[in-house]
Amino acid sequence: MKTQKFWLFLVGAVLLVSAVAGMLVFRGRTGAATASIYQDGECIRTIALDDVNKPFSFTVEWEDGCNVIEVERGRIRVAEADCPDQVCVRQGWISNSVVPIACLPHRLVIQLESAGSGVDGVAG
Amino acid sequence: MNVKKLTRLALLTTIALIIFMVEAQIPPPIPIPGIKLGLANIVTVYAMFALSPGDALAVLVCRVFLGSVFSGQLMTLFYSMGGGLLCWLVMLLLRRLLSKKQLWVAGVFGAMFHNVGQILVAIALTRTPGLIAYLPVLLVSGILTGAFTGLCAQFLLAQLDKIGQNGGPAD
Repeated sequence: MKTQKFWLFLVGAVLLVSAVAGMLVFRGRTGAATASIYQDGECIRTIALDDVNKPFSFTVEWEDGCNVIEVERGRIRVAEADCPDQVCVRQGWISNSVVPIACLPHRLVIQLESAGSGVDGVAG
Repeated sequence: MNVKKLTRLALLTTIALIIFMVEAQIPPPIPIPGIKLGLANIVTVYAMFALSPGDALAVLVCRVFLGSVFSGQLMTLFYSMGGGLLCWLVMLLLRRLLSKKQLWVAGVFGAMFHNVGQILVAIALTRTPGLIAYLPVLLVSGILTGAFTGLCAQFLLAQLDKIGQNGGPAD
C-alpha cells in the first residue's frame, strides 16, 4: 500500500507534465499557411489562408448535418453547425494553433499546416 | 444474481444515468470537445471499490449505452465507451493498490484514461492523428475533475461505512 504522499507526488508530476505540454501545444506556431479540411479522414479541401483577400464561407455536408465554414485572411472557423454540442462553433477562429477544430458528430476536422512543420514537429 | 444485487445495480445505473443527463444540460465551460466534469464517474468509482469490478462494468456499460440513447447522440456512444472501458481497466489495476483514503487517485487515473480512450477513438474514427494535440489539455482537466469526483466517491464511501450501509458484496 503506497502512501498518500506517493500518490500526491505522482498525480502532481503528471499534472505538471500535461500542463507544460498543453501550453506548448496551445502556444502553437505563427505563420499558418494552409488550412486542410478533412471529412472522415479524407482531405476534401485545402485553402491557402494567406492568399485569401476576400472573406468567404462555404458549407460542408455530412449525412444529415452540415457545417458552415468561414474563411478570412489568415484565419478560419466554423461559423455554424447543426450538431447538438456546437463545440466546433464555440472554438472560434483558429489562425496559428496546432490544435485542430474538430466536429466529431460530422467527422470533420480543420487542421492548419504551416510550411515545413506539421504536428509531428511539435510532438517529437 | 439475486434480487438484492439486481436492485442495487439497477439503482446505481439509474443514479449514474440521471447525473449524466443533468450534467449534459450544462453547457461546457471550455470549447474543447471532451472536457466536462464527469460526475457519473463517482458512481463508477463507488461500484468498483464498494462492490466488485464486474458490477462496476455492468453499471458503466448500461449507463453509457442508455446515456447516448437518451441524449440522442449516437456518436458519443463510441467516445464514451472507449473512454469508459479504459477507465474501468485502469481502476481494476488500482483496486488492490489503493486504501479507502486513496480513492481520489482512482478518480484521477480513471478520468485520465477516459480521456486517452476518447482521443484514441476520435483518432480512429476521423483518421486524424493530429487530434492527439488535445490530449495534454484533456489530461489537465481530467486530473482536476477526476480528483473531485474521486474525492466525492471517497467521502460517500466513508459516510456509508459510518452508518453501516456501505453495501459490500451482496450475498
